[in-house]
Amino acid sequence: MAAIAVHQLAQCITCHAWSPDHSMIALCPNSNEVHIYKLSQDKWERVHVLQKHDQIVSGIDWSARSNRIVTASHDRNSYVWNQEGPEWVPTLVILRLNRAALCVQWSPRENKFAVGSGAKTVCICYYEQDNNWWVSKLIRKRHDSSVTSVAWHPNDILLATTSTDGKCRVFSTFIKGVDTRDSKAGSSSDSKFGEQIIQLDLSFSWAFGVKWSPSGNTLAYVGHNSMIYFVDDVGPSPLAQNVAFRDLPLRDILFVSEKMVIGVGFDCNPMVFGADERGIWSFVRFLGERKLSFSGSKYGSQFSEAFGKFYGQSKIGASNDGTDPSRSRGVIHENCINCIASLGEVSSSRTTRFSTSGLDGRVVIWDLQNQEDLSQYLC
Amino acid sequence: MADTKEFVEADNAEAIITRIEHKSRKIESLLKQFKPVEALKTALEGSPPNTRDERCKSANWLVVHRAIMAIKDVDGMFSSLDPEYYDILMKYLYRGLSTGDRPTCDQCLRIHEKLTEKAGLGCILRALADTANTV
Repeated sequence: MAAIAVHQLAQCITCHAWSPDHSMIALCPNSNEVHIYKLSQDKWERVHVLQKHDQIVSGIDWSARSNRIVTASHDRNSYVWNQEGPEWVPTLVILRLNRAALCVQWSPRENKFAVGSGAKTVCICYYEQDNNWWVSKLIRKRHDSSVTSVAWHPNDILLATTSTDGKCRVFSTFIKGVDTRDSKAGSSSDSKFGEQIIQLDLSFSWAFGVKWSPSGNTLAYVGHNSMIYFVDDVGPSPLAQNVAFRDLPLRDILFVSEKMVIGVGFDCNPMVFGADERGIWSFVRFLGERKLSFSGSKYGSQFSEAFGKFYGQSKIGASNDGTDPSRSRGVIHENCINCIASLGEVSSSRTTRFSTSGLDGRVVIWDLQNQEDLSQYLC
Repeated sequence: MADTKEFVEADNAEAIITRIEHKSRKIESLLKQFKPVEALKTALEGSPPNTRDERCKSANWLVVHRAIMAIKDVDGMFSSLDPEYYDILMKYLYRGLSTGDRPTCDQCLRIHEKLTEKAGLGCILRALADTANTV
């Protein structure tokens, strides 16, 4: 079984993030608070409650090296939380937004973070030593609608965004005094702050969940029309692939290796996408095994009959429990999954462990070890 | 600038109408040869017409509608209709359902059931979510 642990930590979870050593999880239980849980003796214990926001917290990111938490909320503000002794001390970051902040992400070097917002802008925030203050620089007038997701390229300069105008864009976020002109970053470091490198026009509906592959060579994002888009050679002549799938749309994705992407969303069951040796991406299978029987005939699994029995059993079990059988389709999540986070090493280019959280209030930890059919994509 | 664009659009529309008329004749001849699936494929070919001109869209819908109504054996149709046609067919089924015409709706619902079985909910999502390439 790919799911190795299921934890019911709240009624509903909007987003979650892991501490650097993965011993603690920060999550927003669909409220203005952030709860931090710690695993002690196989039980999750709530150790901190971060209370500062006035409205729902829409994004959390926990930096791996500097152990800082950044939160973004519908109240149009961000806080950077530093651990001082037993306490988490917040620092207000004035984003200068007039609409909700929707997503937040630390840059790879952790000297900047990006906030996407409903104000059609992206805020790039950096720390000013002289003023002891986080400054927010805005990328304005580039998006025609809310920015739903942001992703940093490993070079710490390029930022990809998705937006509800259906487009995916890549910007330079070079800030004088924060970033240094680096010959390694190539041409991307010559661009000025806020310069648009590329606009990808592949989707005709809302776009969500943008991510770069570990090397930064491939960019992937999803559309609300049950499509996922893969873009190679992001630059003047990008190579794009559109992959349509037969189930409900995705909300977020994660590269577990250069050739494998996990997508999560309204189908409640993580989907695996893989690239073959020619670099052609396709849907591989669902990760929650029982669902496989449901569509087994379509994907030609020889095990579909055996799985069909499991599926039948689980359905009976579910209806005995009095839950709605149409909703509990024998999978681990019972509602839309809206967040996926890696549980791998920061420096590693591949991971086998990751976690998902969703509107059912569960945090599920998945492991791709022992999934023989997927091992070819993990190398 | 806007004038020239409109002019090009109108010019383009005439070309599209001519193409649709040509398609219509081809479909009639295919239907006479009892090849309804070939007719449907021909109708879906080049759809949706890449224009905002409602006249072109209606003309193309008439052609697709003719082909859809000629389908008698729905299961047989899917055995020879390639998956690449699924998304565009779904869009036209929704256009058919929006007419409210009884026989059209009956036929569209019959195909819709089988198409959903084949192409999944994702196909419906793609038909509903696409606001740019409407049929």
